[in-house]
Amino acid sequence: MLDELDRDKWTPEAAAHLLNRAGFGGSPSEIAALHKLGLRGAVDLLISGDEDADLFPPPAASERVDMSDLYTKAKGLSEEEKQMRRKELQRIFRDQTLELRAWWLNRMRWTSHPAREKALLFWHGHWATSIEKVKEPFLMWQQNETLRALALGSFRQMALEISRDPAMMRYLDLGQSKRTNPNENFARELMELFTLGEGHYSEKDISESARAFTGYRVDLATRQFVFQPRQHDGGQKTFFEKTGNLTGDDVLGLILSHPQASKFLARKIWIYYAGSEPSPELLDALAAEYRGSDYDTGMLLAKLWKSREFYEPSVVRRQVKSPVQWLVGTCKMLEISLPGAVACNGILQQLGQIPFAPPNVKGWDGGRAWISSATLLLRYNISAYLLSGNASGLPGLAQGKMEGGKISLEKIYSGSNSPEEICNAAAARLFQSPLPIPLHEKFVNYLSTHGTGAAARQDLLHLMMSTPEFQLT
Amino acid sequence: MNKTLHTRRKFLRTSLLGGAVAWTVPAFLERTFFALDAMAADSLIQTPTGKDGTILVVLQLAGGNDGLNTLVPYSNDAYYRARPSLGIQPAQVLKIDDHLGLHPKLTALRGLYDEGRVGIVQGVGYPNPNRSHFRSTEIWQTAVDSDKTSSSGWLGRYFDSCCEGADPAVGVNIGSQSPQSFAASEPKGISFARPEQFRFISGQSSDPAAADEFFRSMNEMPTDQNDGGSIGMLQGSSDSGGDTLDFLRRTALDAQMSSDKVLEITRRSKAPTRYPGSQLASSLNLVARLIGGGMPTRVYYVAQGGFDTHSGQAGSHERLLGDLDAAIGAFVADLKSQGNFDRVVLMTFSEFGRRVAENASGGTDHGAAAPLFVLGGGVHAGLYGQTPSLTDLSQGDIVHNVDFRSVYASVLENWLQAPSGKVLGAKFSTLPFL
Repeated sequence: MLDELDRDKWTPEAAAHLLNRAGFGGSPSEIAALHKLGLRGAVDLLISGDEDADLFPPPAASERVDMSDLYTKAKGLSEEEKQMRRKELQRIFRDQTLELRAWWLNRMRWTSHPAREKALLFWHGHWATSIEKVKEPFLMWQQNETLRALALGSFRQMALEISRDPAMMRYLDLGQSKRTNPNENFARELMELFTLGEGHYSEKDISESARAFTGYRVDLATRQFVFQPRQHDGGQKTFFEKTGNLTGDDVLGLILSHPQASKFLARKIWIYYAGSEPSPELLDALAAEYRGSDYDTGMLLAKLWKSREFYEPSVVRRQVKSPVQWLVGTCKMLEISLPGAVACNGILQQLGQIPFAPPNVKGWDGGRAWISSATLLLRYNISAYLLSGNASGLPGLAQGKMEGGKISLEKIYSGSNSPEEICNAAAARLFQSPLPIPLHEKFVNYLSTHGTGAAARQDLLHLMMSTPEFQLT
Repeated sequence: MNKTLHTRRKFLRTSLLGGAVAWTVPAFLERTFFALDAMAADSLIQTPTGKDGTILVVLQLAGGNDGLNTLVPYSNDAYYRARPSLGIQPAQVLKIDDHLGLHPKLTALRGLYDEGRVGIVQGVGYPNPNRSHFRSTEIWQTAVDSDKTSSSGWLGRYFDSCCEGADPAVGVNIGSQSPQSFAASEPKGISFARPEQFRFISGQSSDPAAADEFFRSMNEMPTDQNDGGSIGMLQGSSDSGGDTLDFLRRTALDAQMSSDKVLEITRRSKAPTRYPGSQLASSLNLVARLIGGGMPTRVYYVAQGGFDTHSGQAGSHERLLGDLDAAIGAFVADLKSQGNFDRVVLMTFSEFGRRVAENASGGTDHGAAAPLFVLGGGVHAGLYGQTPSLTDLSQGDIVHNVDFRSVYASVLENWLQAPSGKVLGAKFSTLPFL
């Protein structure tokens, strides 16, 4: 299990697969460059990255909005004035959230460290936290930065920091948990959804650990974590058969020493990257690897991305693209910019994956759940918009112009003249492998009938993207 | 199924599509060819469709509707003690008997109740209630015990076990994400939010007609998997039914077939009645047009959100119930003028009711059992289940006396004529509202 892929299996198709899954895919030249590095070199580069953070100046949400205007300073104001201030704040939050979302999507689109953003998208869905309840974009940005710093690092450290993360504390009510009345929401989800899965802890474990996590507060002025000893239950607790004056950090340590934690996490990570359920033997191997590295996510991923299992036919091109993968990946392979903030928002909302607003604490279901008859047709139709930059004829789909302009047909079809060559160039870019023969022949026939001019070349891309095959990666 | 039909089916499969590809044929394509010959088929095996059979509309009130302020126990002191600020005064409720009355905004429902068209089932819930939105919603959608999980939904299992060979539009969800209750091993049912977008839009291409025609032909083409060195090959051999590409192809085909039908119907139909401006009203308006247009759909699914009233409930709940009532009122009027009201039953549900006692923020927290409405031309009006006690509570919540699966069983057995035991995995007693 987890042996390294044979040298001769490291083909351009394999490199494309790695870039699709570890990142958001790329153009033919990016794939060729990755292939040249060899498997080890490619994986090393993906893990280490070399992002110039200056390219992504912090969004407006990184500046905390002073809300005292609404509360302390609002005393004595009329109800109407208060209402106006509330409305104004809501407007600011809405604008900031929109910008924050576009900021992250653009980072995925343009970063030279895509593996970190891809892993970050996983962790965002894992520690699912939504602006719908958190309300303040600043807190969501802060959590995003916390997770980014550890996305390919230590899960142990990440769990410690997330338990003190103000957005998470608000989302799962940890900031309101009292010594006299511990709130169990965070403690329950910590075990059920974040580390162990159902059936590996008792109700008593939940109530005892909820006591251990009391005293966690968000400072009103700085919006940072503070520990309030007066609200902490310092009494004896028994958790996983260990008794003592346990703290929240102790509980996290005990959870991570439970073998089930590595199994639960390794399974989720494998499914995110490989798209299918791991066999029991593979899962054991992955879990042992994760445990052995003391939960070093980067080390686990390097092993996974180099493994034979990751390149098996049952894995390659069998994963349904998530809406974010579909949008960012399409722009990358076509070498165009993302649509504007409002358009991106509208597209992802309709396709069912809004960053910073997962549907609930379980995150996105993913896989086939991304596809319904409605979202499939929407993907087909939005493809036309991405290719043309023109939203007319797509009611309610997208507002505003594309920012980066149109695709370059010259680049995509460079040197291709016959219907055959044109089809191959389009397929290489969109699927990174040849099409099934009947489909290929149909496309060639289409060009033979409708000519090989610029219009037909653009139509061809739209038709290829309007296929079930294009929804897979 | 009799032997001749089975043979004919097999024959159609091989003669029209070629034997080698039989297993990759999308389910609906197979059904379509079967349908070509349906005239000659034994009519006894034809399952009824929404064209002339009975229809169920499921209306989800998402977020946890406050049952106590929907069906108000206005003669009960405990209600007013628990709800000092949110309690609705006896003078305001729309009384239906000496103890219970509807929220003052539910005027249309009250009118329908008087007409004998509304059943109210009280105290609906399940043992060991879960107070998490997503978990409790999941329990209602999958219809399993609260300590179990299932990957299929109750409507999905109904489609699977009772609508074999049916049109993909046997279930229609108004919204872009398919509800969990539609989930099945062979998923049926389609979802769309706006009919005008539920189609392949080729308008931007240089030759829209050609692009559209090509798109259609592409969807109708079975793709051979055994064609070396291609994506098909890269996929390896796929296990029957479990292949993701096969699932996508089936969805694509279902979407295209259904979109033609939906567009044709929505283009030629106009609602004769005026609908209010809410989201729910436009969803129900669409449902009425699809029913009137003769869609083969047996189950429609619509949702209204916003019922998670933790704070400032008085105003928001009133608005929500007002929207609900007005939307239902317009929908019923529309169906009546179409002459279809007797064929349709609408059932509401919410993942849970709310805590009996109001909280300190003028709202209510997550609770347990609550009432739900069943209405339609075929409904026997009245109150079902017992009025729950407000003093004998479980952790501050109302204890259920009707299992929600009894409501499902009643609808399945007595309205959709389906064996409920097969769908629900166990026998639940039915209620006589149908």
